[in-house]
Amino acid sequence: MIRRAASEEIVDLAGLTRELHALRDEAVAAARSAASTSELEELEVTLLGKKGRLTVVLRGIGALPAEDRPRVGAIANEVQAAMRAAFADGAATLRARELGERLGAEAVDVTTPARPVRRGTLHPVVETANRIAAIFGQFGFQVYEGPEVEDDTTNFRMLNIPPDHPARDLWDTLYVDVPDHLLRTHTSPGQIRVMQSARPPIRALLPGRCFRYEAVDASHASEFFQVEGLMIDQGTTLGDLKGLLDQFAQAMYGAGRRTRFRPGYYPFTEPSVAFDVECLVCGGSGCPACSRTGWMTILGAGMVHPVVLQYGGIDPERYQGFAFGMGVERIANLRYGVGDLRLYMENDLRFLEQFR
Amino acid sequence: MRVPLSWLRDYVDVDLTPEQLAERLTLLGMEVKGLERWGAEWHNVVVGELLAVEPHPRADRLSLTRVTVGEGEPLEIVCGATNIAAGQRVPVALPGAVLPGGRRIERTEKMGVVSNGMLCSGDELRLTADADGILILSDTAQVGTALVELHGDVVLDVDVKPNRGDALSLIGLAREVAAATGARVRWPDTDPVERGRSVADRLAVRVEAPDLCSRFVARWVSGVRVAPSPDRVQMRLLAAGVRPVSNVVDASNYVMVELGKPIHTFDAAAIHPGVDGRPTIVVRRAASGEPLETLDHVHRTLDPDTLVIADPVAALGIAGIIGGASSEVGEATTDVVVESAVFDPVAIRRTGQRYGLRSEASLRFEKGQEVRLARIGADRTARLIAEWAGGTVAPGRVDTNPSEPDRSTVTFRPARVNRLLGTELSTDEQRALLSRLGLESESAEPDDRVTVALEPQPLVVRTGADEAVTALVPTWRGDIAIEADVAEEIARVRGYDVVPSILPHTPMPGWRPLPLEVRDAIRDTLAGAGLSEVVTHALVSPRLLDGFALRQPVPSVGGEDQPGGQGIEVTNPLSRDHSVLRQGLLGSLAEVIGTNRRHGREDVAIFEVGKGYAREGDETCEWWRLGIALTGPAESAAWNQAERHWDVDDAKGIVELLCQRLGYATPRYAADPDEPILHPGRSLRATATDPTGEVQLASVVGELHPDVIERWELRTDRVVVAELALAGLAGGQMQDVRSSPPPRHPPVERDLAVVVAEDREAASVADVIGESGGDLLRSASLFDIYRGAPLAGDEKSLAHRLVFAADRTLTEDEVDEAVARIARALRERLGARLRT
Ligand SMILES: [Zn+2]
Repeated sequence: MIRRAASEEIVDLAGLTRELHALRDEAVAAARSAASTSELEELEVTLLGKKGRLTVVLRGIGALPAEDRPRVGAIANEVQAAMRAAFADGAATLRARELGERLGAEAVDVTTPARPVRRGTLHPVVETANRIAAIFGQFGFQVYEGPEVEDDTTNFRMLNIPPDHPARDLWDTLYVDVPDHLLRTHTSPGQIRVMQSARPPIRALLPGRCFRYEAVDASHASEFFQVEGLMIDQGTTLGDLKGLLDQFAQAMYGAGRRTRFRPGYYPFTEPSVAFDVECLVCGGSGCPACSRTGWMTILGAGMVHPVVLQYGGIDPERYQGFAFGMGVERIANLRYGVGDLRLYMENDLRFLEQFR
Repeated sequence: MRVPLSWLRDYVDVDLTPEQLAERLTLLGMEVKGLERWGAEWHNVVVGELLAVEPHPRADRLSLTRVTVGEGEPLEIVCGATNIAAGQRVPVALPGAVLPGGRRIERTEKMGVVSNGMLCSGDELRLTADADGILILSDTAQVGTALVELHGDVVLDVDVKPNRGDALSLIGLAREVAAATGARVRWPDTDPVERGRSVADRLAVRVEAPDLCSRFVARWVSGVRVAPSPDRVQMRLLAAGVRPVSNVVDASNYVMVELGKPIHTFDAAAIHPGVDGRPTIVVRRAASGEPLETLDHVHRTLDPDTLVIADPVAALGIAGIIGGASSEVGEATTDVVVESAVFDPVAIRRTGQRYGLRSEASLRFEKGQEVRLARIGADRTARLIAEWAGGTVAPGRVDTNPSEPDRSTVTFRPARVNRLLGTELSTDEQRALLSRLGLESESAEPDDRVTVALEPQPLVVRTGADEAVTALVPTWRGDIAIEADVAEEIARVRGYDVVPSILPHTPMPGWRPLPLEVRDAIRDTLAGAGLSEVVTHALVSPRLLDGFALRQPVPSVGGEDQPGGQGIEVTNPLSRDHSVLRQGLLGSLAEVIGTNRRHGREDVAIFEVGKGYAREGDETCEWWRLGIALTGPAESAAWNQAERHWDVDDAKGIVELLCQRLGYATPRYAADPDEPILHPGRSLRATATDPTGEVQLASVVGELHPDVIERWELRTDRVVVAELALAGLAGGQMQDVRSSPPPRHPPVERDLAVVVAEDREAASVADVIGESGGDLLRSASLFDIYRGAPLAGDEKSLAHRLVFAADRTLTEDEVDEAVARIARALRERLGARLRT
């Protein structure tokens, strides 16, 4: 019996097969030629959607004789798979093309200047003091700090500088309106404060601001920073000091620098030494920077005077040790090639921002 | 001290180049700071012989000379001096010569006669003080020789340390050279030839203040003729930095340079006699208000702490510091009294400081004087006066205290010396080194004691089983008193290169926290945020201190000293600009902004970590602060971004960044309209606590008041500043983070637009939300502020995003309940309503 489809078309096996193949060919061609992903998606719905043309064609299967149905079913499956594959291919091609177009459109001139990121800098004097502390820290030296408004006794008397001692001329002092107080002229009073608060073995480092009655010029400042070092134990010798300072010179100014000790004078050390490093400018051959001596003095030091130990409450018969003191700006000058101390406190950002 | 080498060689042989000598002295502790070629300024000045001296044809006061300088034709030179005669040898500055001070000599015409150079005076060459006559050279001077070969010298500038007053002399430095080279020291002849009536018949000396004058030695020289010193003497003094005056005065200065002994000379005729008729010198304290005209012709009023040299009538001079005008040796002087005394160093030092008078003499007195030099100096001066000024030295001396102390001893343990130095010098070697300094030594006796320290209480120990040595200390080395002093002498004579370079191998101290940890974390954080660190003066002007004083100083946290005491003033400031200690950092930072703006800098973003200082009575206080100042663009205009200026929100952001870094809670903000230096509508206090609720950060943040910006000429329109007290700035450790795993259950977000009155602070809304939100509320952030329709004119809407979370999945109901609770609290406590 022959049934009529809703479309009134006559359904037979060959016709249905032809129709399916035509639909497949149309889908393959359309998927290839679609101009955009959206057009492709629309086509896919039209051909393969629930109410799409394939569905319509397949309705005709029911009108076929039962023996023909499996054959047509197989052909229909093939056609449907081919159509889906065609659309998938088309979609992939289109996506690649569209992404390519987007990336092309998004291209910028990558050689333009960046968007600046703000950058701050740390002050070279503070950084140098910290560097000194870090170097000595590797040798077990511990940072202490003391007051800047100091009493006369700790700043001078206990450091073996009695009142009216001619050595006081070495420290032009700023006095304050607090009885028996002054602005510390050096970090050395910290030696006394450390000895009074810690027992040997002592390895102490005392960085801080100091003050002098000193007219300001390229090489003098009324406010400046020092770092004091103190090491006290039973067998601490001048040789230990030399060894340690040699290490410091290497760490600060590079390996292979020649160094020397020569006699110095401080009332609070005995013996006292000056520590010289081979001139960083001329390498020792002599130049104006080193007054043609080939050497630059970077710090003063010595064995802690027994009087100072006694004021610190330490028995000089049992213990001995060394102290050293250095001007941070001087170390920084040599480190960074700065020739004028005033630059450090002028705080011209054009100077400071060089210290990255 | 200036040391002319030719003069030093009078006392010791030096077989070294000047540079070698300078290095040896430096390595011995007598640091040579400079090496001056004396005469290097004479270019093209040679020895000439006067062949003829004739009157100038057209000028009465000039002479026309003919001079040979060896080679070539004799030169015709016009000269104005009157002390010249044919046959003399004189310095000739040839055309093209340059004299000290840069004076150029050219061939010139003088009154119609061509002068082919110039004959030089001692003053023109800076060789002597004589500006009137031509310098007459020795007959043996080789004609044609460059003058620098004849009278050039090398002058060392030696930095003699304060403990070595003995080396403030050529003889003292000769001893140092001898110690270094092994040469022998030659003493000058000091004994004068004596004749006539003894000094005791002529002069009396009475010391009424023996505590301040332990010895006074006087000599008398009669019949002198006061005149300029011999050229040779003047040349030496000038090279040593002493201005020649006259033969008598020069003799005393010569002895000061030579022996380190300050000497004073009086015109004997000016000393009034005492009751016995002899001129009498009285050494006493000044009467209060006693007048004295000093040698510098200043009329001074003395105080009773001043030691004077007087006669029975009046003061003749301030002891050890400066003489008086009335007894000054002058051209009319015939008899001279030589004073050579020992004064109390402390009294001299104080007196010099009180009168603002410090001289070469007083500097030496301050460092203490070897007692025997009083005698030797008087003898030597009298001898030189007689030699240079004629006259007769009266026999004997007046000497108020002829006893001269013997050498002291010092006992030391060579083993301890080695233990101090880190060396292994044998006892014999140590003794040999000391002997080069004049310290003779022998093995210590069993009851000899080692002095380890003298102060605050003497520490003297038995030598024990250690081998000890006792050394005799020369009388001029009063600075060698304890064992450590001996160690230094041994080291410096041996050379400090004997000290080995070894690494400490003694026990380490136990762990101690690094006090810089928090400070450095703050500095790093701020630099990372784009701020640059500055270091400014702690001493500021009173104007700056007052001009930037906070009405309500930022309170200290973490137990530091509190600000608010009285300011600390410097009593001897260098300048008013640096005369008081600051109490905060804002003024200094404002100055840095002004400086940089003046340089044309647009954006300035700076910080400083520094101290404030004050006093509470006689107690001093110091506290650490962080100061921040921002002006100009935070983001500068560029092709890809618009300009944006620093504002208070940036400063708050920086404060919050620090809180975050240091582990504090988000800071609380409170408006502060009452700081006169700040913008009343744009200033606040920010406070933050740690997880335990302890305040760890206190601060003031705001814009500088426009008046302040104008008054201090900061050349910018807005400056945002902050001053912060932070726990740990003064020394503290970073706290470890207590971590928790990330939440496993997704949070729930709700937006809430809170409509409040315009004058309601955002912080109060945030507070109510936080307090009423309950356990589930994790955060509430303000994301929009809206004004305008449909709100009333005095209303604003603060839109918050609320985040709820718990350790489980939240139900809509419980979140709704929390939001309702918040809404209710906002309504009840702030009169707020919600906008939907
Ligand atoms: Zn050099």
